[in-house]
Amino acid sequence: MYGWTGNILRINLTTKTVKKETYSEEFARTWVGGRGFAVKILYDELKPGIDPLGPDNKFVVAVGPLAGIPAPNTGKTVVAAKSPLTGGYGDGNLGTRITEHLRRCGYDVLIVEGRADAPTYIYLQDDEVSLLPANEIWGKGTYATHDWLYQKYGRAAGILSIGQAGETLSLYAVVRSLEGRAGGRPGMGAVMGSKNLKAIVAKGNKPIPQADPQGMKSLGAGDLKKVGDIDKQSGWSKQSTNGVLAWCNEVAALPVRNMRKTHHPDAWKVDGERLNNARVATYGCPNCTMRCGIAIHDHEGRESELDYENIGMLGPNLEIFDLEQVGSLNYMCDDYGFDTISAGATLAFYADAIDRGDTQGDFKFGDAERAKELLTLASRREGVGNLIAQGSLRMARRFGRGSENYAMQVKGLEMAAYNCKFCPGMALSFGTAPIGGTHKEAWVITYELNQAKRESYGPEKAAKVMELQRIRGGLFEFLTACRFPWVELGWGLENYTVYFNKITGLNWTLDDFWKTSDRIYALIKLFWLRENPAIDRTFDYPPGVWFDPANADTEGPIAGKILERDKYDSLLQHFYDLRHWDRRGIPTRKLTGILGLEAEAAAAEKFGKLE
Amino acid sequence: MRIRVKMIGPLMYEVGFSEKEVEVPADTTAEALLDLIAVSRQRPRIMTRNGRAIAPQEVLEDGDKIAVSPIYSGG
Repeated sequence: MYGWTGNILRINLTTKTVKKETYSEEFARTWVGGRGFAVKILYDELKPGIDPLGPDNKFVVAVGPLAGIPAPNTGKTVVAAKSPLTGGYGDGNLGTRITEHLRRCGYDVLIVEGRADAPTYIYLQDDEVSLLPANEIWGKGTYATHDWLYQKYGRAAGILSIGQAGETLSLYAVVRSLEGRAGGRPGMGAVMGSKNLKAIVAKGNKPIPQADPQGMKSLGAGDLKKVGDIDKQSGWSKQSTNGVLAWCNEVAALPVRNMRKTHHPDAWKVDGERLNNARVATYGCPNCTMRCGIAIHDHEGRESELDYENIGMLGPNLEIFDLEQVGSLNYMCDDYGFDTISAGATLAFYADAIDRGDTQGDFKFGDAERAKELLTLASRREGVGNLIAQGSLRMARRFGRGSENYAMQVKGLEMAAYNCKFCPGMALSFGTAPIGGTHKEAWVITYELNQAKRESYGPEKAAKVMELQRIRGGLFEFLTACRFPWVELGWGLENYTVYFNKITGLNWTLDDFWKTSDRIYALIKLFWLRENPAIDRTFDYPPGVWFDPANADTEGPIAGKILERDKYDSLLQHFYDLRHWDRRGIPTRKLTGILGLEAEAAAAEKFGKLE
Repeated sequence: MRIRVKMIGPLMYEVGFSEKEVEVPADTTAEALLDLIAVSRQRPRIMTRNGRAIAPQEVLEDGDKIAVSPIYSGG
């Protein structure tokens, strides 16, 4: 078998045992890698109803056939577990040197089980596996943790770590790597923390098995250069992802004031032009020639790496239009190991709830200094910080008074920086994203606002969401590679079949990839069904406030417009019909047969019937 | 007639400004505006008029704010 190492490393922290396992070629071809491997393993091995922060949960690190092989842009790793934030399947990807080193140690998957009796980190060096004491770094932020590990193992080592937020089990703690990389928004860092696992370090030297290594080497190196040239020509990375902030503001889709507003006259102060002007360094992932991490000096003079989601959620959404202060909040989130999107959304919800009299407190929109204090309290779970560390939905349930209506989340995961007050397709994208309110699966908003009619709830938008899910949440998550060369520079998807076939020796087409994507999405839905047997289509609805006429803009491009509930429901039905899911949004028995998921469907039916 | 033009993202480096007012002939269309401000047609662009999508053939009106953007596809 080429393209896959065929090996899984399983580490049980309770028993301190290490097991090297193999997987079959059929497993490889069915699930391909990354998210595919992760969901299949978690579905098979986790008993429904387990405590996500208990020793029965498993933390999975998984890569795909492209991972670590020089080509555009193959530095990504998937981290996954049952989510403590949503109670469903949770994952995320991040750029990290672990990607290549895990494979060079001879593995495509690492499964961490149990719970260590004391703070621990895992060190892999080729065939050797060590469980080492992490007492010296427990309690430290991710920057100090990385520095400590770099000193021991060198800067070329692959490292994943958590900060204090993961240690104190914040439900939206992430896993961190490199200068500003983070992944696993639905609390994957908390799952590491619950296992007393501070970090994973890997250094490997083995070759990655490939069918045509010489051919791939020359093709991959050439294509990396081509992508870099296209980037330079287009100028994309001058502002990177934050180029889009000005556009969101222009079209009334910017998150402002807990998404109460859609645009703001001061938005220019934190836009891509200002970010580029303030740039002091640029960072990126391994195997990348369009590095998107723009670092600035924050209010305290530290280097803070920013992108659009960070700025949108910690800036305008909190009505903070001081880029250095946004940088400070971002730095603190990165250092504590909080997800910046959920942190911004949860703080904004808190300010909104105070503003509306649904709770009492001393935090107001625009107050950057108090926001910093609240992040510190959240990292320690002290005072109101204990509630902030649990995300907006739990906070709303504590406050009551209908505040859940404006907790800007789906399935418990806070939505990213696109205000869909009047963007039906993007609202559907958030609603049907398989881990909760992420933008990464189907970023349909530019299509929706430019190539379709914004007010349409027609099947064309459901089809576009599904098409993008197959590519972004499917192909790029199982191969595992970054979507940016394709999505931002137009690097053709057919290139990825060429890479895949050169590496594996197979002869797959894009249609094979789409079937794999559909299989993965179906299994993730079955995972949710097992955890929530009473699941229905309301799981795929955005927050109620977007349907509230009182929340409509009073001026600007979408004055008086809101989402219409009946029409959203019909759009959702279009989506289910395309996916061959039933009216609850669950794959039908017929579909599971077509996708080869008969055994998985039978396992699901012990908890909820399939139609 | 006078049109306010805002360039989004890297396009501002291509044309040399991020936002300004320009004088254009009556009946100028959205796509003709791109030529007037020297935006390359090599890659597709998207345009809005006062925050709403505008088709290339639509005629501009005095006082319009036109935003020109590359096609972003998401962070």
